[in-house]
Amino acid sequence: MSKIYGEADNRVKALDNVTFSIKQGEFVLIVGSSGSGKSTLLNMIGLLDHPTNGKISIDGIDTTTLNDDKISSFRNKKLGFIFQFSNLLTDLSVLENVLLPLQIAGNNTAEKDAIDLLKAVGLEDQIHKRANKISGGQAQRVAIARGLINKPSIVLADEPTGNLDSVTSATIVQLMKSMAKKLNQTFIIVTHDREHFGNVDRVITIKDGKAFEGDLPSEMEITA
Amino acid sequence: MDYRIKLAKRMLFNQKGSLVGAVLAVTIGILVIHVNFVIFQGLFDAIVRDIRDYNTGDVIITDESDFIDKSDQSLIRWFERIPVVQAATPRLSTTSEMNMTKNGKLIEETKISLVGVDPFNDIKASTVHETVTEGSYVFSRNSIVLGSNVARDLGGAQVGDSVKVLVNDRWGQDQIRRFIVTGIADSPGGQGFDYSGVIHIDTLRDMMNRHGDTGSFMVKLHDSSKAFEVKEFFLRSFPNEDFIAETTEEASEAQLEGFRSGIAMINMIGYFGMMASAFAIVTIQMMLVNGKTRQIGVMRSIGAKRKDILIIFIFQGMIIGAIGAGVGTAAGLGYTVYAKETKMSFNGSLPLEVTYNWEKIIQTALMSFILAIIASLYPSYRATKLLPVEAMRTV
Repeated sequence: MSKIYGEADNRVKALDNVTFSIKQGEFVLIVGSSGSGKSTLLNMIGLLDHPTNGKISIDGIDTTTLNDDKISSFRNKKLGFIFQFSNLLTDLSVLENVLLPLQIAGNNTAEKDAIDLLKAVGLEDQIHKRANKISGGQAQRVAIARGLINKPSIVLADEPTGNLDSVTSATIVQLMKSMAKKLNQTFIIVTHDREHFGNVDRVITIKDGKAFEGDLPSEMEITA
Repeated sequence: MDYRIKLAKRMLFNQKGSLVGAVLAVTIGILVIHVNFVIFQGLFDAIVRDIRDYNTGDVIITDESDFIDKSDQSLIRWFERIPVVQAATPRLSTTSEMNMTKNGKLIEETKISLVGVDPFNDIKASTVHETVTEGSYVFSRNSIVLGSNVARDLGGAQVGDSVKVLVNDRWGQDQIRRFIVTGIADSPGGQGFDYSGVIHIDTLRDMMNRHGDTGSFMVKLHDSSKAFEVKEFFLRSFPNEDFIAETTEEASEAQLEGFRSGIAMINMIGYFGMMASAFAIVTIQMMLVNGKTRQIGVMRSIGAKRKDILIIFIFQGMIIGAIGAGVGTAAGLGYTVYAKETKMSFNGSLPLEVTYNWEKIIQTALMSFILAIIASLYPSYRATKLLPVEAMRTV
């Protein structure tokens, strides 16, 4: 697929004929320098934006043919999102934030699952706190729990450790890896902190809108 | 509870300033309509009330030939057989000239309305006797009650003074009689006999040389809403007479017509006020949407559909409308109760006739509730149009 922003002389090719496939259960890192197009790629995979041409197939479904309602349902059921700034809804409690994807899906009976997930991320004592009353690291762990509550087949994370100190980042990475293994979920993570993630199943490097399999050669190394 | 309703409530109640502002906008819109209604409809109803109580009763009977020649007693007895009729009384009026010598100085006034009443029946059918603030109502053939303005124009006539009254009889001859002032009438709002003199009807008949004639019959009912039925029944009962029967509103239509237009205009201003409230809600809701843009993007990214976002913000409009309508109606009713209990009047004018018009109260509350929802439609629609990826870029 390709993604072009702007028109005529102002055209910017954010993604240029990017083609790859990811298997179920793979833990994939998308790396690249700032402005290389890695977040754009994640937004395309997450169906938050439309490619200018090409298609994205998930579980055999060509998502570019879906209308807005179906895309929303697809995001709700198949995809889980973890954002850089956690993006919790500050009007809700920790537990309510985690329950939200389920409630959007019309499931109001899975409170126990949400509490179990919050226990798994070590926040069982924070569940009734307002989302804006917890620390950045705790908020990111809530965001992970929210991203996993619907048991999505793909979890998409955009710089999930980008806003955290190195100790908390290591905890979050470990948490995601253990969850991926435990639930056999595909994790696609955009990051420029390659070293925080250690060994992963796959690395896709984005440079100037093009995708390359594997880590960058040393001469193309990114400066974060 | 549905998560959309919960979120709508939380988002709104966590923005107390916006909530209070929006509710206040609806409240003020409703209050303006209530205050307008209490004052202007109250004034209108007060005028109708005074016209009915002092001049026309619930039904007024006149004759195409200016004078009713049926005897008072036969018509009074006919009316009093109808259970809904409280009393009926004859009236006769003409124009007169009056003069009085006060402190050795002769003061003359012309074109004073002179009303002849039957004192016995008049106090049952009319409350004009209650406007006599000094002395007493007409009780004998030579007593006269002067309206406060007439008394003033006659140099400050007082109870016990003597006035000369001149009327032209049916043959054009001057008829002069001397009367003792027994009372001064003064009514708030001036709908009573403040510009008239009131004497015994038989005395006026003598002076006008119209023995047995009556100008009009005031018919007072126990239930004013039956006026039209009584009027129709009367006209059906006397098919061969030239009677004219009118309800208070019909008889005073010319007097009330202008006032009616004024009330309609004031009501329009009230409804424009409500429209202004709606614009305030649009602005406040737009602010709420702008403040929640990032959260809308997050919700969309985790699967919320456009209609879910629409429901959240429309529900906020419903909350604003419901609270605003409730508070506004309560405030409006509070003002109405206050106006009614204190018999509100302005600058000593006639006390307002305050009524609880439940139909209008409910209609106003419903209209503002619906308007608040309509006002939230555009901001809600704007919220649904946000692309998740763009919404989440908002800081």
